[in-house]
Amino acid sequence: MLRYILQRFIGMIIVMFLVVTIVFIIVRVTPGDPAAVMLGPEATAADIAALRQQLGLDQSILLQYVYFIGNLFKGDLGQSIFLNQPVLQALAQRAEPTFFLTIFSLLIASVIAIPIGIYAAYRRGSFFDQAATAVAMLAASIPSFWLGLILMQIFAVRFGLFPVSGYGGPGTSLMERLGYLVLPAFALGIVSSALIMRFTRASMLDVLGDDYIRTARAKGVDERRVVLKHAFKNALIPILTVLGLTAAVLISGAVVTETVFGLPGVGSLVVSAVLRRDYPVIQGALLIIAALYVLINFAIDMLYLVVDPRVRY
Amino acid sequence: MKSLKLALLIGSALIALGPSAFAQTKGGVINVATIGEPPTLDAMASTADLVGIVSQHIFETLYTFDKSWNVTPLLAASLPEVSPDGKVYTIKLRTGVKFHDGTDMDSTDVVASLKRWTEVASRGKQTASMIASIEAVDPATVKITLNAPYAPLVSLLAFNNAAAIILPSEKQQNPMTDPVGTGPYMLKERKADQYIQLARFDGYTSPEGDENGYGGARHQYLDEIRFVPVPDANTRVEGAVSGQFDYVDSLPVEAYDRLKDQKTTEAVLLKPFGWPVFVMNTSTGITKNQDIRLAIRDSLSMEDMMAAAFGSTDFYSLNASMYPDGYSWKTDAGTEGAYNVADPEKAAELMKKAGYNNEPIRILTSRQYEFHYKMAQVAAEYLKAAGFTVDMQVVDWATLTQRRADPKLWDIYISHSPFLPEPALIGAMSTSAPGNWDTPARKAAVDAFNSEVDPKKRVELWGEVQKVIYAEVPIIKIGDFNALSAKSAKLEGFTPAPWPYFWNVSLKQ
Repeated sequence: MLRYILQRFIGMIIVMFLVVTIVFIIVRVTPGDPAAVMLGPEATAADIAALRQQLGLDQSILLQYVYFIGNLFKGDLGQSIFLNQPVLQALAQRAEPTFFLTIFSLLIASVIAIPIGIYAAYRRGSFFDQAATAVAMLAASIPSFWLGLILMQIFAVRFGLFPVSGYGGPGTSLMERLGYLVLPAFALGIVSSALIMRFTRASMLDVLGDDYIRTARAKGVDERRVVLKHAFKNALIPILTVLGLTAAVLISGAVVTETVFGLPGVGSLVVSAVLRRDYPVIQGALLIIAALYVLINFAIDMLYLVVDPRVRY
Repeated sequence: MKSLKLALLIGSALIALGPSAFAQTKGGVINVATIGEPPTLDAMASTADLVGIVSQHIFETLYTFDKSWNVTPLLAASLPEVSPDGKVYTIKLRTGVKFHDGTDMDSTDVVASLKRWTEVASRGKQTASMIASIEAVDPATVKITLNAPYAPLVSLLAFNNAAAIILPSEKQQNPMTDPVGTGPYMLKERKADQYIQLARFDGYTSPEGDENGYGGARHQYLDEIRFVPVPDANTRVEGAVSGQFDYVDSLPVEAYDRLKDQKTTEAVLLKPFGWPVFVMNTSTGITKNQDIRLAIRDSLSMEDMMAAAFGSTDFYSLNASMYPDGYSWKTDAGTEGAYNVADPEKAAELMKKAGYNNEPIRILTSRQYEFHYKMAQVAAEYLKAAGFTVDMQVVDWATLTQRRADPKLWDIYISHSPFLPEPALIGAMSTSAPGNWDTPARKAAVDAFNSEVDPKKRVELWGEVQKVIYAEVPIIKIGDFNALSAKSAKLEGFTPAPWPYFWNVSLKQ
């Protein structure tokens, strides 16, 4: 067990190192210059060159890489060119909306998808099953930003129930800020629910055909108990996997949805950093996102142990 | 009789106070949706319009522009005294002006700030070679000595873009660490990508006189102004319609019909706002040849390009002059037969004369501004019809700003500009601007224009510059376009402006 954890940890370090290196090279070879963006449209070539020198961008890519890795070992992800603050601080400031958006989206998706998936599997071939599968197909085909715009039109513009965009002004309480997440969370939750529902249904179908379910039924166990305790518990592993992967995608930034709703989260930070060519933020954000991906996958593996004691490493 | 006198007295007092004193009330907070997060709040350090829009509430310059785009004093007490040889500018400062940190502004701060401007701001750096010295004469007087007469100086000191803002002498760091100015609003909190919160500066001393464009009295009716970045244009439209924002900047013109039917939100059309421009690479490559540039211009239909870009004539107009009606700079000099020609045969003749041999014309454009891209598409078809080979290079804005700095990478790039109050501020007028227009005819016309101090003569000389622009085609003006924004019906005292400002604005109770 300890050996497994150690192996995973080393793997995690290698993955992150590769991510950092690849991202570093890609952002540097991509055309575009943060100095030109920062100085604005009327800046001269001489102004841009002077700012590049000030930012250390005139040095060779190799030297910049060495500095970057050196600072990384000191826990320093660098300083944002545009935000004039450390990258870690910028990411921390944007963690709140992304974190709560992930939680809410996942909750909404789970509340919709898991019961429907279970019931569709239980009533396999019924009208409910076919309708649920069709709706799931439809939901999976809808882009979350489009759904977001529709929800915005109806609930924010027409009925005025929620704000259109942003994450609250100065002095807004946490509860008020969470109000800004309702529409984007539903937009993401509904779209994510399609995948979770289909996985739940498929996993339940596998389990419901197993011998121990037949045995339980033969013993006269209450049908609700058979489905929810015996079957669902054993169907959980693939469901947990898809939930974990969905969470990782959401944490890494529901990029387009955050941008559409003007949420100052990790996703919109990455987008604006790419548009501004804010190299340290792009590198830092992708490093953290890669770390989160690996950690979530690791956490899912650990959860398998809890859910299914037969799993051993 | 006594009560009649009293009534007359009150009536006279009411008239003297003017309508605005009663129509507008103090208090309230407004939310202003902007196109994004400004890269900095240091108005010297960037030429981005967004920086100017936000920072003009925090910082002030010695001069600014009135509603007729004349220079008017702001932190200066009056227009400068200019020596007869046009080389020495003596600037009297207003006294009793405080910075947001409570200290008084004096000539030491002004001298330090103007020196910083010549070192930090791109427009200041361009001016630095003209300046021999900047010195304090006494605490309320500053003297700028030039190497040669340079008439645009005062306009440069007035402009809010790469602006000569006045900062406390001990807060001149670059990059700026503590945004302290003399403006009517001070920075309270900035949460990047979330909001910039400005609060009324209670120690503010307004210039005297009636409100007049960016000049005159600056009333601080609002308690707070909050700038909220909303990068997605569709979301800005929905934010305007829903009433979440009190002012929404830079909306797509397609949203006009939706906005004009609203009760709580009003469409604001700034007519005209600016001009799209094709900048030609005059220093290297195929467009270095003047006949090729003329052929490009004569092959284009400005009408079709503007129609494709802006849809309806509600949002654009054709105008060959570099300035629209209402500006003293408007002149038709040099434009006859040189605008909206759309004559492929004439263009083909010029191409033949130039020895054109199917070299690709590289058009560098971006979809950051959709109208740039639409114009580029139409232009490409007209150029092909004339016999040009076209290489459209559609990139993001950051890439465009980088590539245009290297003349080897492009032949035409597409941009736009608001109508600037002083022609010398137009980018192409500088030889170091992308395009690098630098010819004897340009030098003669521009130098004469820049060194003339008399305003009437300058208008005439600008006509000469425009003639050279049309003769040598360093840039191609496509037309005039309007800008659409939206404001809450509760907002009072708002004057549409290229860089919207919110002093003198109040909320209806």
